This record gives sequence, C-alpha cells and structure tokens, in this order.
Amino acid sequence: MTTRPKTSLSKERLMSFFKAAYIDSQTLQLVGVFVVLVIFFAAIDKKFLSSQSITSMGFQLPELGVLSLAMMLTILTGGINLSVNATSNLDAVLAGFFMLKVVPPDATGVQMVFYIGVALLIALLVGLITGIVNGFLIGYIGVNPILATLATMTFFTGISTGLTGGATVTGFPESLAVIGHEKLLGIPIPFIIFVLLTILTHYLLYRTAFGFKLRMLGSNPVASEFSAIENKTVLMKTYVLSGILSAVTGILIMSRTMSAAIEYGTTTYVLLTILISVLANVVSGFGNVINVFISIIILQILSTGFHMILAGIRGSSFFKDFAWGVLLILIFIVNYFVYQRERS
Amino acid sequence: MLRKVIKSNEFVIFLILAFLSLMVGTINPAFFSISTVFDILRAAIVYFIMAFGLLPIMIAGGIDISFVAIAAVTSYATHMLLIKYGYQGGIVPYYLIACAMGLLAGLLNGFLVTRFNLPVFNVSLATFTMWYGFNLFFVGATSNFDLPKGTVGYYAKFLITSQDPLVGTTGLHVSILYVIVIGVFIWWLLKYTTIGRGVYAIGGNREVAIRSGFNVTMIMLVIFAIMGILSAIAGVTQAFLSRYFNPVIFIGQPLDVLAAVILGGASVTGGRGSVIGTALGVLLIQLINRTLILTGIPVEWQKLVLGIILILFTSIPALRERRVRRMGHTTELLQE
Amino acid sequence: MGEEILRVEHISKRFGGVVALDDVSLSIRKGETCCLVGENGSGKSTLIKIISGVYIPDEGDIYVNSHHYKKLTPIESIHEGIQVIYQDFSLFPNLTVAENIAINEQVASGKRLVNWKEIEDIAREGLTKINVSLPLDVTVETLSTADRQLIAIAKALLAKGRIIIMDEPTTALTQKEIKALFKVINELKSQGISILFVSHKLSEVTEIADRTVILRNGKKVMDQDAKGLEIRTMEYYMTGREIDTSVITFAEVVPVTPPLLRVENLNLSHGFFNISFELGQNEVLGITGLLGSERTELALSLFGMLPADSGNIYVKGDRVEIKSPMDAVRHGIGYVPDDRITQGLFLDQSISNNIVVRIIEGLKTRTGLLDNRTKSEQANQWIRQLEIKTPSGELPVKSLSGGNQQRVVLAKWLASNPQILILNGPTVGVDVGSKAEIHELIRTLAKQGIGILLISDDIPELIQTCHRILLMRAGKIVGEFHQGEITEQQLYSELIAGTLVESSR
Repeated sequence: MTTRPKTSLSKERLMSFFKAAYIDSQTLQLVGVFVVLVIFFAAIDKKFLSSQSITSMGFQLPELGVLSLAMMLTILTGGINLSVNATSNLDAVLAGFFMLKVVPPDATGVQMVFYIGVALLIALLVGLITGIVNGFLIGYIGVNPILATLATMTFFTGISTGLTGGATVTGFPESLAVIGHEKLLGIPIPFIIFVLLTILTHYLLYRTAFGFKLRMLGSNPVASEFSAIENKTVLMKTYVLSGILSAVTGILIMSRTMSAAIEYGTTTYVLLTILISVLANVVSGFGNVINVFISIIILQILSTGFHMILAGIRGSSFFKDFAWGVLLILIFIVNYFVYQRERS
Repeated sequence: MLRKVIKSNEFVIFLILAFLSLMVGTINPAFFSISTVFDILRAAIVYFIMAFGLLPIMIAGGIDISFVAIAAVTSYATHMLLIKYGYQGGIVPYYLIACAMGLLAGLLNGFLVTRFNLPVFNVSLATFTMWYGFNLFFVGATSNFDLPKGTVGYYAKFLITSQDPLVGTTGLHVSILYVIVIGVFIWWLLKYTTIGRGVYAIGGNREVAIRSGFNVTMIMLVIFAIMGILSAIAGVTQAFLSRYFNPVIFIGQPLDVLAAVILGGASVTGGRGSVIGTALGVLLIQLINRTLILTGIPVEWQKLVLGIILILFTSIPALRERRVRRMGHTTELLQE
Repeated sequence: MGEEILRVEHISKRFGGVVALDDVSLSIRKGETCCLVGENGSGKSTLIKIISGVYIPDEGDIYVNSHHYKKLTPIESIHEGIQVIYQDFSLFPNLTVAENIAINEQVASGKRLVNWKEIEDIAREGLTKINVSLPLDVTVETLSTADRQLIAIAKALLAKGRIIIMDEPTTALTQKEIKALFKVINELKSQGISILFVSHKLSEVTEIADRTVILRNGKKVMDQDAKGLEIRTMEYYMTGREIDTSVITFAEVVPVTPPLLRVENLNLSHGFFNISFELGQNEVLGITGLLGSERTELALSLFGMLPADSGNIYVKGDRVEIKSPMDAVRHGIGYVPDDRITQGLFLDQSISNNIVVRIIEGLKTRTGLLDNRTKSEQANQWIRQLEIKTPSGELPVKSLSGGNQQRVVLAKWLASNPQILILNGPTVGVDVGSKAEIHELIRTLAKQGIGILLISDDIPELIQTCHRILLMRAGKIVGEFHQGEITEQQLYSELIAGTLVESSR
C-alpha cells in the first residue's frame, strides 16, 4: 500500500481553494499589512480597538468603500472616473432639495418613508444620468477618460454650486438617519450595504458576460472592437454603474451627516479611491475585488489611526492630504519593485 | 506655405478667437477698447506661463495636474519664509527662491516618473494632493496680505498705460514680458534643440526614441524641471498681480490650462503641439471666462458653464481624431 | 563579394530550461546577401539579437571586422557597422521624413542644437544612397509602409551600416514593393554592404539570397549557396518533413441560389468602388491586390468596421445592413484580422478567455451567471480541435508562438459558428508547418459549408486554397480567375502588370 505524502495533497487542495476563492498572493500580503497596522495603532492607543472605535469605522468605511468600487470598475476598462465624488455630492444635493422642498413637515411616519424612498430614487437616478454623460463622452465620442471626467467633475460640481450657492443643505427628516446610524444584528447598516455591493461587484465582474466583456475591453480595446464586443455599450454601462455606485455613496454620506454639501471629499477623496485600486493592483483588464475590499479596510484603519494620532492638532485634515499624497507615491514605488519580476 | 498656415490647427483657433471677439464686441461695444485688451492680457499672463510649462509635458505624452500645486506651494512658502525674516525688499528674491523650489518640485515628479516607470498623471495626482496638503499644514492655511515694502506698487507697473473714461487707468503689466521671453524660450527649445526634438520623439514613439539613443530620462527630467520653474514664476506673479499670497491658489484651475493646451493643438497621446497654438488656446479660454462675467451669469453658475464648455472643448479634438481614423490610413491607425 | 566580415562560431544560448541556439556557426562575406530561414522557435530571432548585442551568448565567439568578441553590447555592435531594421522600422510618425532619416546621426553626434539645413542635407544624402526620392517635409505617418521601409534603410545606411539585418522586412509589403526593395538590396550589394535577411517567405528567399542558412530547433541544418535550392527542399529542412502540396482536394461547390453572400455595387468614399461579387457555400474566394487595392478596406466594410456608403449586401438572399461588427456577427460573418497582436488577441488574457470571447453570452447557467466549467470545456475543446500547443488553457496567450496564436484567433471565430469567414493574411508570420495546417483547415471549413473570403498576397497560398480569386486594383475589381485556370507565375504577373480590362459585372 502506498501512502501519499499528506503535505502535497493538502497543499494542492489549499491552492485550488485559494484559486476558486480568488485569493492570490497579493491578498495574503494585504492581510499581512492589515494585521501589522492594527497592531501598530492598537499599541499606540488601546482605544483604537474599542467597540466604539470599530463601530465608528464601520459606519464611515462604507462611504469610501462604495466609492472605491465605483472607481475600480472604470479602472478595469483602462479608464478612470475622476467625477465620482462630484457625482455623490450632486445626488445628495438634489435628493436633499427634494426632501426639503417637497416633503410636508407634518408627514406621518409611513408617508415619510415613502418620501425618503423617492428621494433615494432621485439620488440613484442622478447617478445614472451622470454615468450616461460620462459614458457618452468616453464611449461614444472617444474623449480621453482623464479629461472627460475632469471636465464632468467641474460640470457636476458646478450644478451643485449653482443650486446651493455654496451653502450646506440641512434639515432633513429624522428618519433618513436610519440608514446611516442604525445597526442590523449589531452590524452598521452602511457596512452591510457595502459588503452586499462588494459581493455584487465581484459577481458582476467574474460571473456575468458583461463583466467578462468589461475586463476584455480593458485588456485590449482594439481587439475587443474587432471581436464585436460593442465597446461603446460596455463603456456606457460601466460608467453608469460607476455613477450609480457614486450615488449610493452620496446617500450614505447624506444619511450619516444629515446634510449635503459640495465640499465633502474633494479631490483627496478621489485620490483615496485611486490609491485603493493601486494598492490592490487593479489594472486594465485585471482586478481582484477581495483585494480591493481589504485595501479599503486598510485605508480606513490608516485614516482613523491618523485621526487618533493627530487629534487636537490644528489643521489635521491638511496633514492627511499631505500624507495620502506621500502614501500614494510610496505605494507606486513598492508596486514597482514587487512587480518587477512579473514585467520581465 | 500660405496653404499650410491656413490648414493648420492654430489658424482654426485664431478664427474662433476672432469670431468670438466680434460676437462679444457687437453685444457689448465697450469690449473693443484698449483697456479691455489689457485687462484680458493681465488675467491671461499666469495662464500663459503655466501653459508653456505644461506644453512640453503634453507633447511628450503626459497629462499633469500638479503644476498648480507647485505654483501654490512655491509662491506661498517663499513669501511666508521671507516675511518671517522681516524681508522688506523687492521682487527678485521671490522669483529666485520660488524658482529654486519649483525646480526641485518639478524634478521630484520627473524622478518618480522616470525611475519607477509611472504614468505622468498618476504621479501628478499624488503630488497635487501632497503639495497642497503640505502648504496648508506646514506653511499656513490663510491668505496673507503683508507685502514687503519693496514690492508695493509692482501690481500696477505698466509697460503701456491707457486712460479710459469708464475704468480709469489701466495698462499692460510688465510681467507680459515674462510671457514673451518664456514663450520664445519654449519655442526655441522645442524647435532648435535636441532636447526639444527629443520631446516630440518621445511623444511620437517612446520605444523608438530610446532605441534611437535619446536620453529619455534626462529629457523628461529637464521638461519637468522647466514645468516646476515656470509654475513657480506663475504663482509668484499671480500673487503680486493680486497683491496677496493664497495657499490654495489655482486649486480649481488645472483643467483650464489643460484645455488651453489641448485646444492649441496638443494631442492627448502626445507628439504634437506648439507654442503659438497654446497661446491662442489660453486667450480663448480667457475670453470665454471674460464673456461669462460680462453676461452677468451668477458666480455659482459660472462653474457649471465652464464645465459645459470644457466638455465641449475636450470633445471636439476627440471627434476630430476619430474622423481622421475613418478616412484612409484606417488599418495603420487602428494598429497603433 | 569579398572577404569575411562577420563570423559567429559555436554559439549557444539557453533561456531557463529552453535551448534557443545549439552550437550555431555562421559566416557572412562582404557584399553578400544571406537569408536566415526557420520556423518560429527555430532560433533566428535569438541569433539576430546576439549579433546586434541585445543578448549575450552562453557559449561561442563573435568576430566582426576581425575583432573578436565574447559578447557584444548594442553600442559596440553599432560601432562595428551592424544595423538592425526591426519590423516597426523605428520611425516617428509625427516627425518629418528628413528628421526621421537624420535623427540617429543627430543624437549620436551629441549636438545640443538643431540645424535644420543640416538635417535636410543629411536626409538627402541618405536617400541618394539608395537611389530613392521622397518628399522631405511630410510627416512619416502619411506615408505607406513601403516608403517607411525605405526611410528605415536610408537611416541604417547613414549610420554607416556595413551589415544590415532585416527582420521579416517583406511581411507588410505587397509584391510590387518587394520588387523595389530587392532592387535596393542589389544596389547595396554593389556597394559592398552585407545583408542578413530573415524571412519566412521562401519564394523571396530564392530570389534574393546568395546563400541560405536554415535553422531548426536551435541548430543549423543547412548552409549553402542559394542557387539551385528548391523550395521543397527548404521546406523539408525547416520542418523535418515533406509538405505535400500536390494532393489537394478542393471542396465541391454546389451552386445554390440564393448564394451565401452577394455583394452588389458596394462603395466606400476614398476607398473602393462598385464592388460586386458572390460567394457560395463551400467556396473559398480569394481577394488579392497591391497597395491601394483597398482589399482590407473591403473586408472591414463587410465586417462592419468601415460601413460602406452605398450598395447592397445579401446574406442567403436577404438584404442586410452591416453598420457595425455586431451587425456582421449577427449575420454570421466573422473576421480574422491581419494584425493579430493588436486586433485579434488579448495578449495578457488567458487562451481560454481569448477563445470564448465571442460566445460568452451563450455560456450562462440558468440563473444568468457565467458557467465557468462549461467555459473551460468549450475552450479546451477548441484547443484540441485546432491543435493549439499549450500545457494549459489558462496561460496567457502571449506565451504562444505565432502559429498557435493565429489558431486561437481562428478558434475564437469558429466557436461562434460563422457562415462566412473573412481571413485577412491568416498565415503571415506563421511557420511553414502551421501554415500548411491552416491551409488544410481552410479547405476543411469550406467542405463543412462555410464560405470563406481569403485576403492574401501570398500567391502560392491563394492557388492552393481558393476556388476563385478576385484581383483588385485601386479600389475596383479588375479580374477573376478560377481554380485551374491560372498558374502561380501567371497570377503573379497579373498582380503586378495592369494589362487587364476591368471585369464588368
């Protein structure tokens, strides 16, 4: 009787499990970074791991998270969407206006839910429309995505500025706060939404024909045209989805802060979403949603950690801007060395 | 020769410019006055300078947005540094110090791009965020109006003065000379130096440029250094023209400058572009901004209109390139 | 021909576990044109790169101009007068002809400033050396491939090239241009310049070579005078087997009305005019022509990439509108492009992904999600059927050789069950063995009922696979030949002649 060495069998099983679960070496590295950071910040201040701190992260993280998913989709096609933040602000402003102007102050609980529902639909619709604008410029006219979304970013912010005059919109019905402040089974609702969307994105990219075409287009847009993948349609759908995801982010932010303003985020937020994709090694045609998920968590930990360390120092948000810029550069450099072998 | 001029991209922009001017002038005859021209030029000066700095980068095939951040940090930091030491002299040290900083900042971008093979835009996004953050956190977060004694009056130093019954005394500011000198320098660099031809070569086909023996690293470093220096000059000049130093100057403007350069004929993929075209592009954008103000559109909506115009302006060159594809040369272009 | 100018002795090169070159020795004399021939993977690229200094040999010696080298650097190679003309010609599309020709010299001289008059002079000198005249101030992107090649040669000569290596120089040229190129090569020969000419096209090799060297699997298997060398012999040495082209059975074309494809008065402005023809089931229709014949444009038009401005297309009797590739695909038309690297393949993606990209919509489970298992099965089926040599379908397609890559492109289209298949230069850059196999595949597909439009300027290929051949010139169809009516020689002369009356339809 021959005995098979147990190690090689379980290694094979492990490798094929990893492959099926889309876990790659990058995933393990990111998990490693995650662990190191948690230990680091917890060591500095034990409060970092308190349930209050984790819960607060759980409420904030989804905003960045969903926005990063919006960015990821466009990067996979070989493009980029710099207008994600402007979109999320715009739909919050428009939904907010609706709630302020249309909702009667004496509405009953049920009526309120209805009105809020409509407001959310409006927000998503705005995301859809902004996506169509981007998709049209990039897919049908052929404008370079950097330029196109830089322009639409200005355009969308312009609409928000024109409508609000620069002021913050407040005075939303209390029930709106449910989304942004309540928990379901102990988990913050925004986080649940985020995880659901992450799973959906994964399925979209790897288990649908559309996702397949999206990735192939990113790999080689010319060959994709010649393979009768309608680039125009795929790009349009991609940017529409990106717009809708940005809109969801707008809803989350609006619900958490109970306000809408044109300044939330600005280009730094956009930088963060790009940073997350770079950290997760998302490139045209290839991107692992799990890695993006972990990268988002890592960024949130960094953000909260920074906040903790800098608490009390004036202008700490400016320092964070500086830090993110430096961090992005560092990640570029690290990626360069790590993937050098792959390149040759 | 004449036929070539007429067919060129620059001529088309010139025509659009002329047409738009005529239109505006017919609606508002006050437009056709020397003081308006001087005014427009005054506003355009810093944009000319930044656009000239951006041009070689775009010809080499890169899109950069960090030049505005460099303009802000170099001008603001120089100022805060000088007044900290009680400086009361003239403008020259401002330019010298800021240019030194700009040189280093530009070289940082260039180093990252060449050493780690990174796309120009990605690096510029990082440094854009970094420099504004640095400026606001480490240098200062508020605008500063304390100008040294030696610089007072500089804002009104005119080459040519004109008296206008409506607006009073206006003039062509001396810093227009910077624009002319810089413009001529960049033009000369691009046309008559190996480095300049190398920029076109890199934009045309980077692989082949390397194979042909061009020192691509050195060329990229040079044009980034130039971009940094010119951004510094623009930042300082803007501060003197407006008489205060703003840590977030130009933060919303990179697209204006990009659009101007692209309108002027630079292709997004590189290999093309000229100083004259860029200058015309800047004038066109300035004219549009001016028109917006004249039409009385409320400030809040101006950004929206600008956005629409920018969308249009970035679409037109794209459509043009698409049409070229369809006629003749199809297979070869598709192979690119 | 003079004394020896380049000699390599016992060169060996390994990449990891793969032996690229095994004890290869070769010598070239002054003024000699040596043709280096071999299938993909035979080692010819590696040998070239060793001579030009891009690779370092593991063993062996190099002697250039009597200088001994154990290894060369690119600069040393250039200083010894070795110039390589790559397939992309190393030109800048956005710069003028003059600048392109003079640019290497400009850079090498270390000058900081540009003197435009000097550039013009240098460029003129370069063109004179090859006895060619071209306008100096137009940008290269406006020129044809043939003209670009001439510029590349002028560049190489200006750099004082004594040994010019041309890597597959005729792939992108039509017959007329090849003739012009050969004229230039002869001119260079008379000036004492040696040429190392790497090629697949055996008919050209016999025409231009003084000596033929054949590599197979990294070893040199033949090195002799080109005179009297037959193509059959060369094929045998290249593949190690005889390619029997005498026993070809053509599919029987059963005339059916309506025909599979009927094109009527198709027009494309700045393209082709009044194109009309029919394609039957089981039929292989060849379309050939020189530069400017617009045959690729016609193909792109039928595929929806360049929709025609006017005219009618009928598939199986029904009039169809083809305004996009999707339309074409919907009517069962597939297109295998001439540039498979850029247009046909997704290099970084897996072989499986490349194969199923057209049929992905049909690989879903009941819930609408992709069925990855069926996807792999489909892909593997095609890999087996078309004999694509790879250990796994999950490897990226760039890991394959040219011939296998072409099979992947074919698999992609065959998987979608086309009724009409347009092939544009399907065996370009493919080794002789694969080429014959692809020809057999074409004949088989026709037998299965697919109508095939074969666009090619490989005359033997056309004769061996097509039932009929259409000749195009300047956007019009000027001739039609049936199988058996015409020999290779005749077809070739029709192609470059121009004495045919326009066929009236």
